[in-house]
Amino acid sequence: MEIKVSKEKGEITVFLKGRLDTPAAQDAAAELEPLKAEADKTIVMDCKELSYISSSGLRIFLSFRKAAAEKGGKIIVRNITNDIRTVFMMTGFLNLFEIQ
Amino acid sequence: MSLKESIQKLIQNRSTRAGLMLVLVAALTIEASSLMQLYFSRRTLANSASKQAEVQLQAMRNSIMDVVNQTEIVLQNNTWVTRWCLDHRDSLYRVSARIVQDNPGIIGSAVALVPGVDCDSPFCPYVCETEDSLSYLSLATEEYNYPSKEWYLKPLQLNSGYWSEPYIDVGGGEVMMTTFSLPIQNTAGITAAVLTADISIEWLGKLVEENKAYPNASGMILSRTGRFLFNASPELIMKQTVHELAGRMRDSVHFRKLNKAMLGGESGKMSVNFKGQRSYVYYAPVERTGWSMCFIVPYSDIFSDVRHTDFLVHLLQLLGFVMLLLILNSLIKSQVKFKEANETKERLEGDLRIASSIQMSMVPTVFPSRKDLDMSASIVPAREVGGDLYDFYIRDEKLYFCVGDVSGKGVPAALVMAVTRSAFRTVSAHEDSAERIVTTMNNGLTDTNDSDMFVTFFCGVLDLTNGHLNYCNAGHNPPVILTDSIQALPVEPNLPLGIVTGVDFKGQEIDLAYDDALFLYTDGVTEAENEDQEQFGEERMIDALHGRKGSIEHLNNIQKEVAAFVGSAPQSDDLTMLFIHYLGNSHENRITIDNDVKQISRLEGFVNGIASRHGLSATDASAINLALEEAVTNVVLYAYPKGQRGRIDLDSTFVDGHLEFALSDSGVEFDPTKAPDINVDASVEERPIGGLGIHLVRTIMDSVRYERKGGKNILRMTKNI
Repeated sequence: MEIKVSKEKGEITVFLKGRLDTPAAQDAAAELEPLKAEADKTIVMDCKELSYISSSGLRIFLSFRKAAAEKGGKIIVRNITNDIRTVFMMTGFLNLFEIQ
Repeated sequence: MSLKESIQKLIQNRSTRAGLMLVLVAALTIEASSLMQLYFSRRTLANSASKQAEVQLQAMRNSIMDVVNQTEIVLQNNTWVTRWCLDHRDSLYRVSARIVQDNPGIIGSAVALVPGVDCDSPFCPYVCETEDSLSYLSLATEEYNYPSKEWYLKPLQLNSGYWSEPYIDVGGGEVMMTTFSLPIQNTAGITAAVLTADISIEWLGKLVEENKAYPNASGMILSRTGRFLFNASPELIMKQTVHELAGRMRDSVHFRKLNKAMLGGESGKMSVNFKGQRSYVYYAPVERTGWSMCFIVPYSDIFSDVRHTDFLVHLLQLLGFVMLLLILNSLIKSQVKFKEANETKERLEGDLRIASSIQMSMVPTVFPSRKDLDMSASIVPAREVGGDLYDFYIRDEKLYFCVGDVSGKGVPAALVMAVTRSAFRTVSAHEDSAERIVTTMNNGLTDTNDSDMFVTFFCGVLDLTNGHLNYCNAGHNPPVILTDSIQALPVEPNLPLGIVTGVDFKGQEIDLAYDDALFLYTDGVTEAENEDQEQFGEERMIDALHGRKGSIEHLNNIQKEVAAFVGSAPQSDDLTMLFIHYLGNSHENRITIDNDVKQISRLEGFVNGIASRHGLSATDASAINLALEEAVTNVVLYAYPKGQRGRIDLDSTFVDGHLEFALSDSGVEFDPTKAPDINVDASVEERPIGGLGIHLVRTIMDSVRYERKGGKNILRMTKNI
């Protein structure tokens, strides 16, 4: 699992690459935790190269969504694969995020 | 054991009884023969004593009769001259004087005329010896009055010679005397005088003493009235009669009888109790005088020789019996000891049998019946119980196994073996690393080991799901690994258990593939010796392991080969073998993971394997992966208490167009199907952070069922494809 964060033109983009399974989600949660401070802005979750996500990964998405709701920011999920989309659908996440 | 008990024990024992009977018969025979001998020798001695007494009595009688005859002859010879002198009274003194003078035995002589025949008044000249000269006296005095005396009256009455009752001569020096009186006829044939001769009988005492044959014999001579003429007690002489004396004797009955017999002039033998001693009395009469003589001889004198012999014989017999009894006793004792030793041995052997059966019952003899494992083990104990052990069990799909050999034999070794085995069970219950199991066991065993015994030990933990084997060898013979080749498993040179505490044992790892096998053994196999003291050796053992066989066949084959090699030599050590044939790892229908979050990633490979076998799409595979991951994560995070190692098994089976997954764990009971589902339509604010996992499981899988079975949580999930 690789995570890359870029901040350009006031837009924060998080690039997730690989499998976000339970062990990976533990690391990712820790790594992304500081980013929640910027939840008042727009954070883009780029899932182009995210091949797999488990509930632990979803929980990270949800925790950012909650933080954004609280601080008035916005979370955009971009480039999700069909598989991930299915998972988002199954969990009702499609309704919670702006999917691009 | 008390004397009584030991005697009872002896009598109960057949051979002891025979021994005692033998001694008894010997004793009776010897005693009877010695009693017979005693009887006959006593009879012989009694006979010879009788003869002896007879001879002595005869000799005494002869001596007395010599005197009596002499005296009688002297007077007979003087009959004529006396008759002639009747007419010349004064010359009668000369007759008497000459009789006294010429015969030294005669100490006095008188001629008593019968008044009214040849003379009118009494006339009695008497001559007797005094000192050196003769005294001439007349007995015709009024004081003496000879016609009233026995010595005068009796011969006249009997008209023959007569020996008077002995008497003490008061006038002539208190001498015991007796008088022979002979009636004398005058020329007309009428008894006109009595001629007498006085003889001293003081010599009777000497005579008796001379003829005494036994030192403690006493001789007695009785007068015709029963008075003592001689007795060993001088105060009795002439003063007492036997009859009087008998009244005061203890054995009065016999003495009265004796008195009667003696006074009746009989001769013979009689048993009496004289002065407290059993004695024989030999008696015989003396003719003419009316006397009777006897010897009283105590048995002790007669049988003194016999008594000594008898004493010696009895002493010897006693010694003999004592020796016989001692021999018998020692025989019996040794027999009892032997018996006791036997009993002890039997008891000990019983203990050993028990120990052996404990040993045998401690090792598992029921082998797992599984597709992925074929294993067998055996212990062939040597004569006595040894210290070999093997053990195995399966926990969480891992086979824990061990083989060990305790130094030494017998009950101590068996006890150490039992301790080792329970240590193995205890330690391996919480530990799945062979090196940690061995290290912990070693510390425990060394701390409690007072007996300087040590244990060579091999411990292995085989993960049956993947063939991964971690093992640790503590100074034991390296097991044989059977792969494409057959060779010794490489082992670290660790010390045996129980020698040094606190040492870290070094473990090793190896992966077993399908159809690989391990053969574990103790040195009873390789060091089995034949009669030439050659050892079976590893080479023969490895040769014997060639060929594909089942585990039982392998063990039987090795045992057969060893037996054939050893021949008739006794089995000196336990023969312990364990054969593990791994048949798992051939398919990927199962995955076992530890309760470690990191291992959850392994599910991907597992699911991909299934997907490829069943031709599933990547999307389906991914979905299944997700559902399984959610179910597994739930168990990993919550089934086991924090810090406790646990395992989780996931099996997959394909039946009738659907995949069934069984997730099992030994953790705390928890039914995830009971968890309330989340509301996927809830707003961001309402969405809980948890509960997604079980929701995904429910959503992806076509059915989810939970059961608690055999202490396990089993979650069964099916997916139609």
